[in-house]
Order: sequence, then C-alpha cells, then structure tokens
Amino acid sequence: MFRTPVMLLAVAVVLVLALGPLGEAQQPAQAPPPWKQGQPSSMADSSLAPIAQPPAPKAPGEIPVDKIKVPAGFKVSLWAHSINNARVMTWGEKGTLFVSSRTAGNVYAVVDNGSTRDVKVIAKGLNLPNGIAFRNGTLYIAEVHRITKMVGIEDKLDNPPAMEAVYETLPKDLPHGWKYLAFGPDGKLYFNIGAPCNICIPPDTHANLSRVNPDGTGFEYVAHGVRNSVGFDWHPVTKNLYFTTHARDWLGDDMPSDRFDIAAKKGQHFGFPYCHQGDTLDPEFGKGKSCSDYEKPILKTGPHVAGNGVQFYTGSMFPAEYKNRVFLAQRGSWNRSQKIGFRVMMVTLDAKGGIAKYEPFAEGWLQGDQVWGRPVYTQQMKDGSLLIADDYAGAIYRVAFQR
Amino acid sequence: MTAAAPARAADLEAGRRKSEPCKACHGADGNASIPGTPSIAGQPVFFTHWQLIKYRDGRRKDPQMSPMAANLSDTDMADLAAFYASQRPTPRPATTEPAKVAAGRELAQQHHCVSCHRPGLVGHEQIPRLAGQDLTYLIKLLRGFKAQTAGDLDGTMTTAAQPLSESDIESLAHYMATLPPAPAP
Repeated sequence: MFRTPVMLLAVAVVLVLALGPLGEAQQPAQAPPPWKQGQPSSMADSSLAPIAQPPAPKAPGEIPVDKIKVPAGFKVSLWAHSINNARVMTWGEKGTLFVSSRTAGNVYAVVDNGSTRDVKVIAKGLNLPNGIAFRNGTLYIAEVHRITKMVGIEDKLDNPPAMEAVYETLPKDLPHGWKYLAFGPDGKLYFNIGAPCNICIPPDTHANLSRVNPDGTGFEYVAHGVRNSVGFDWHPVTKNLYFTTHARDWLGDDMPSDRFDIAAKKGQHFGFPYCHQGDTLDPEFGKGKSCSDYEKPILKTGPHVAGNGVQFYTGSMFPAEYKNRVFLAQRGSWNRSQKIGFRVMMVTLDAKGGIAKYEPFAEGWLQGDQVWGRPVYTQQMKDGSLLIADDYAGAIYRVAFQR
Repeated sequence: MTAAAPARAADLEAGRRKSEPCKACHGADGNASIPGTPSIAGQPVFFTHWQLIKYRDGRRKDPQMSPMAANLSDTDMADLAAFYASQRPTPRPATTEPAKVAAGRELAQQHHCVSCHRPGLVGHEQIPRLAGQDLTYLIKLLRGFKAQTAGDLDGTMTTAAQPLSESDIESLAHYMATLPPAPAP
C-alpha cells in the first residue's frame, strides 16, 4: 500500500471532500470550505476565520521592528523588505538567499550588497511554491503538484533558466497542498503531502512525509498520520528528523495542541486523523481507536499556534548554550478566540533528546489582539546570526548577538 | 524581473487617475454595464489587489485584463484597489427567473457560500462581493472554477465548484445577481 502511485488516488480526494464529515443527518450534503470543515454545530455562529494574507508587503516605515522582543544581548534589525509573502529561505553556494512565497506565487533571490539588499523575482505565477532547497548549483522548487529545478540559477539571476521537471506526479489537492522541501542527510529531498481537509480519513497517499531522490527516482513515504507538516530539520549530531505539525481546528480554544515530533525510523504513524496530540481521540474519527497505537509528540507546542519553521542552531555567534537548540517559528492562530503564537520559540533538548526547556526567543508580532506580522521560517546566516521571514509583512529580520 | 517598489499607503486620488484606462469596460466609478464584465465598485481592497497580481503573473487569464495588468506596479495596484473600494456599487440590470433565484438561495445554503463571502454575500478582505454582481459574469466565473481554469488564490473556489451542475451554476448566479450590492464593510 505504501508504494501506491501518488497520482492514482488524487481524484479520490475530491470525493472525500464532497462527502464531508458524516454523522449529522441535518447537515447539508455539500462540504463547507476546507477551513470550515469539521466545525461542530455548536460553533456554527463562530466568527473565526483564517487571517487574510495582504496582497502587498509593508513599507519599511510601517514595520515596527522595535516591537520584536528577544533575550538580553540580542538585537533585531530589518534585513530585507518588499518581499511579498516571504516564506522559506535557503542559501545558494555563492551567497544568494532564495526566498519562497505561498499565495503570491513567486520565488525571489535576495542579493546581499552589505548594507543594502536587492530583491529579484526569479519565478512567478507558480502554484503555492512554498518549498525551496538548494544543492550543487541547483535550486529545487516544490509547488503543490510538482517539484522542479533551476540549474545554475545563481549565475543567471536576471535571466533565470527554465524550470526542469524533477517529480511531477504529486496530488493536485490545494488544501494543505503546499510543501516544505529540504535535503536530508541521506541526500534525498524530503517534503510533506498534507491531509486535503481539516479533518477526514485521508487517502493513503496523503497526510505523510515523503522523500524522493534529486533525480526524481525512488519516491517513498517516510512517515504517516501527519496532518500537515510544513517545517522540519535534522539533528546535527544524531541526524534524526524533527518536524512540526499543524493540528486540526474546531475542537475549541485549547484543543488539540500542535506537535513537535521526531521520526526516528521510516514508516511510523503519528495519529492523524484518529488521535491528536498523542493522547486525545478525535470525537468522530477516533471511535474504536487507541492512542497507544500511534507515536506521541516529544512536545505539545500549544493549541493553534501554527508551527512552521524548524531549525537546529549550529552557528557560533550566539552563546555556547545555544548550540543545537531548535528554533520553532509559529505563524500564529486563527481558530482561537484569543490569539496565540506569532513568535519564534526555542527548544532546548536534554542529553537523551528529551525536552529540557521550551521558551520564547522572539515575540511581539502580536500586540493585544492586533497582528502586524507573522514569523514563518528561520534561516541561519554564515556569521551565525538568525534570519526570520515574516510572510504577512513581506519582510526578513536579522537577529544578532552582541557581547 | 526587477525588485518590487517599496509599498506605501495607497493613494485614492492617484487610483482615480490611474483608473482612466479601466473606465471603458468597468465604468467611471467601477460600476460596469457590459454584460460579462464585473462591477468592481465597493469590492474589498485585498480582493481587487490580489486579482490584479494574479492577472499580472498569469495565474488568472483574460484577453482584456491580462494585457491591462501586465505593466502595473504594486503601487498602481494598491491605488486602484483603494479607489474602487471607495466607490458605491449599484445593482446590475438583469432578467432573473424567480424559480432559479429560489433554487439558488437553497444551493447557496447547501454550498456554504456565506462561510467565506459573509451573510448577504457582501465579501470581505480577499473575498469578493457577489451580491448584485453581473449575471453573465457570475455564470462565466463559476463555470471557470468548475473547469479548474479560473485560478483562485488558494483553491477554495475550485474545490467548492466541483459538485456544481450547469443548472446549479445558473441558479446560484440568478440568486446572487438579485441580492442588494451593499458595499463591503
């Protein structure tokens, strides 16, 4: 079953969505929009809805960098701006920072001139191109339905090469269809195929982490029961895969928690849609199931926090105790009456790989109930400082440590 | 492929000047009279701006609109979106059939249109007002979503349109065209 070609079952998703949650006879037959799906009748009057993505980035003067709070000794600056919907950041070998977007459909190249940065659009009109990864002079781009590459891009930023196919038989489903993309220690490209719903029995081809060789061969599933993971990284020492997962909506303000997990071996099941946060059965799909059959998170990161970026710190600029700590960028909640998230958290692992500490590293994008930015991914700079991308303000911040 | 200009607060009067080429089809105040052409008066700022980006980037295609949007800057788009959002939408003349309107009202319930388009289908943020929109345009657009050729922002409409039959599409459009086009809040 794990080898079923992904494309064959893509069609089934539409059927699953059309059927929607079963069991409430009075409900109309058609499925609500994906974000609303799974909402119980008791919450029918809720005004909660996803936060709209602004169509344009904020001007530098409209970005209150001074509101971002970091630990003593650290300093935040606005590193780049006017990057509409800036999401994943990855470095080229010649010092170009490539930046992805989601709804803006663009991929950018940021060229650092020291005190200023040039932003170039190297691809546009793409299908939610969230995932980007770079190796051997080639930029790999993951859209919803395909992975492509641009060979030799760093020498041709003003005249980008054609996007060549790498792997083009991914499902076309748009709900949770955007991908994170990264090279694992085994040289393979890892990405997510999210559940095409808020809550449903996903097709066997969905709700997983997958990998493929950079030449498009050897597709295989790595982890199952993963609702939607759009951030992962590998421990610098153990090489284990750590990932965040967005949990389902409409179970209330405080349930269930988003997750931070470790995939220690291939083929594990992380519970979706049966068991949430490792210990709570889904009120509908959990019937007859047991949470003990599924992997438990190593950390409950909080309800609706929307954890995206995962990054182990390997630099030397920050104090020594920061080595191998994990930065988790949380884009922030919509399905909660009081907003939560909108921050970069920091995880300290203990000697056995357990959680020693979970604490804020950068916060302030949420002021009262007002959101002015959404931190979504981090990337380390060569000097050990940390970049934070904000897809709401269309900006990138740099956090440096000053003794 | 150049750097985006830094964004700044949208300029409504600049938007009015820049809307000069749009008048021929969309009307001086964004209320169109040509069947098949949408009225954009009172549409939310985010909605109009996103549509212009999609036309410029080729994610939404139209023989008239694609070339119009091809050379717009981000600032132009922000100004135009602000100008049209400030205009008051007026009803489009349409010959609607009561039976289709009634069926459309039911279908709008079943298909959860208000979940995103809000009660009265007046729209908000990136989601358009449908109330009082041009009948021919509504039918054309719904057919496009069903055929998966009308690029939407995140796939919500493409997904929503899949179960619709041709008669469902007509009924929904007849219903939406009869609603009062209150400006989006």
